[in-house]
Amino acid sequence: MTYPFATLPGNLAAFCAMLRRDYGFRAGARELQDAARALEIVNLADERAVRDALRPILASRLEHARVFDAAFDRFFRAAGGPPPRQMPSGRPIESRKPGGTAPGGGQERDDDADVREPSGAETAGGGAVSGVPGTNGEARPALLRATSSPLEAEGAMPVLGPADRAWREAASLLLSRMRAGLSRRWRPARRGQRFDLRRTLRTSLHTGGDVVMPRWRARPRRRPRVGMLIDGSRSMTPYVAPVLDMAVALASSTLDAETFTFSTALRRVTREVRRAAAGERRRLHLHHAWGGGTTIGACLREFVRHHGDRLLGRETFVIIASDGLEVGDPRVLGAAMGQLSRRSAAIVWLNPLLATSGYEPTALGMSAARPYVTTFASVANPADLARLARTLRI
Amino acid sequence: MIDAAAIRGRFRERGFIVNEAFAMALQLVLALRKPLLVEGPAGVGKTESAKVLADVLGTRLIRLQCYEGLDALTALYEWNYPRQMLRIRMSEGEGGSLEDREAQIFSETFLLKRPLLEAIVQSTPPVLLIDEIDRADEAFEAFLLEVLAEWQVTIPELGTIRAEHPPYVILTSNRTRELSDALRRRCLFFWIPYPALDEEIAILHARIPGLSERLAERIARAMQVLRDLPLQKAPGVAESLDWARALISLHRDHLDAEALEQTLGCVLKVREDQQALDSHPEALRAVLDETGLQPGGRSLDTDFGLGSVSTPRT
Repeated sequence: MTYPFATLPGNLAAFCAMLRRDYGFRAGARELQDAARALEIVNLADERAVRDALRPILASRLEHARVFDAAFDRFFRAAGGPPPRQMPSGRPIESRKPGGTAPGGGQERDDDADVREPSGAETAGGGAVSGVPGTNGEARPALLRATSSPLEAEGAMPVLGPADRAWREAASLLLSRMRAGLSRRWRPARRGQRFDLRRTLRTSLHTGGDVVMPRWRARPRRRPRVGMLIDGSRSMTPYVAPVLDMAVALASSTLDAETFTFSTALRRVTREVRRAAAGERRRLHLHHAWGGGTTIGACLREFVRHHGDRLLGRETFVIIASDGLEVGDPRVLGAAMGQLSRRSAAIVWLNPLLATSGYEPTALGMSAARPYVTTFASVANPADLARLARTLRI
Repeated sequence: MIDAAAIRGRFRERGFIVNEAFAMALQLVLALRKPLLVEGPAGVGKTESAKVLADVLGTRLIRLQCYEGLDALTALYEWNYPRQMLRIRMSEGEGGSLEDREAQIFSETFLLKRPLLEAIVQSTPPVLLIDEIDRADEAFEAFLLEVLAEWQVTIPELGTIRAEHPPYVILTSNRTRELSDALRRRCLFFWIPYPALDEEIAILHARIPGLSERLAERIARAMQVLRDLPLQKAPGVAESLDWARALISLHRDHLDAEALEQTLGCVLKVREDQQALDSHPEALRAVLDETGLQPGGRSLDTDFGLGSVSTPRT
């Protein structure tokens, strides 16, 4: 058994560091402290108890909980070796060799978003994009090769960068035109529909209990949420750059924008888009979510199933950027669009082919989706987006 | 301090089956005094777990049901304005300074304690259930962060009230929106998935003692199959229990196609889901009983055709 440090706190800190570095956990000093306290009350000889005690503290969301056991095994079990009989104690153990593999057999890697954002939901379509680094460092490159799309091999994966001012202004305009209705929350307001008895009485104390200045409450507008799904299939390659700019511009204007790409698999790229909105420029590695054929229906269905509960609602505006060239079953697309339509405020379909003269959305995929689409548009530049915002009727 | 094994045992005594991992999470709540954020699909027992925990600890359960529009005052305290108005009018002729009158009407007598304040002022630590926190908006979540961190509340007219015995806090979420990292970092986290086959059978027996082994097994198997179908609202444990009770009330001791048809509404509650099941007729075939279905549609071991008359059999 090989542990990097001789003491339990040292190993715990190293484990937290590995979770942060390789799995994107937010395990900071507070979590480390809680973990140390938790280990004081469990039997350290009982591996399951240790695992069960650390998981609720270090994994703060489902995506992390799903990969925690694999990370735990990777760190606390020797790669490929037999299960440990006991957890590390204060006894000195073999230290980490310089230049060797990281604890548990993993290798130091660069900041690869595919690894740092493990999610079972996202892997459902992507298959081998497991988010769980292999326990065997050598196996990983082969795995990645097997999951890469042809475009990745050609270096044609998209590059995300900050959006310019025109895009940001157009995106802000679009958000301002999205009517998500009124919140149920009543807030103090200068004019409103509901009399604010509490504030009125508080104010009236200054005038001996006589009401001079009535106070009011009103319901503010809901903040719209945006779910953007970008078709990254090969047929969309010439048109996708402005759509990505639009996604970054939306992320610059609101924190309530989620972005996904899909081709034959769906992938959440919200984090990468937000980084781009913050000024970072980087190439995405999207595997099957970019550059292949298009199974729009299956990907939308996966979106509804795995992300619908969290993202869809009456304040959510779904924006789908796709040419509608579906290679899957159109009935699946129709059913998924039906669900999306029922569970969102509106669906905006950005079809680049719409700008082509004489184009009619008669492809099987578009025919299946059309009944559920609120607005069709084509966005190739900020002016198009501003025009869409001004004409939006939702 | 009770340990995870004792928690499991006491939960089981109350008809609630918890696995070792969840028992450990509850033990950590008691030991570390940190809130526990429980997420999972609807109907897997998130809310119930808090109720049972309160029962196990022999303490009070205080529940704050979150909803869109919930604000800090509704969760914390309000003044009893009508009563204050009445007192002002009644004491109009009594004289006294403005400060005295103000102190009179802003005393604890006129304070309406809402769940958070109620949880703070208890003499023994209660279990505070903050249910469906994902339904509340971000502003309330931010307010909650402050309360969970300090366990003190400042009422301008009365001063600061600090909890002498901070409550054990269970937050539940159905993931209808993403909670902030700040809230997550203040909590322990546990995901309750749908139960495995054995667990579900154990739950059915624990909650419905009279249920036959065979029917429990068939219901649990059917549930496993249904949850694998592409449904909008996959059935949870609550639906399993409802289904079992419905079958018992119909005097069914087995699950066949007819019983399924009669009781499908207990399990699938969206029209599209029932259509999805119709489009996968083979899905449940393996778990349905073929026997027991007699001409006329009633099984002989029920109640000889009395149908849904709920007559206990001997």
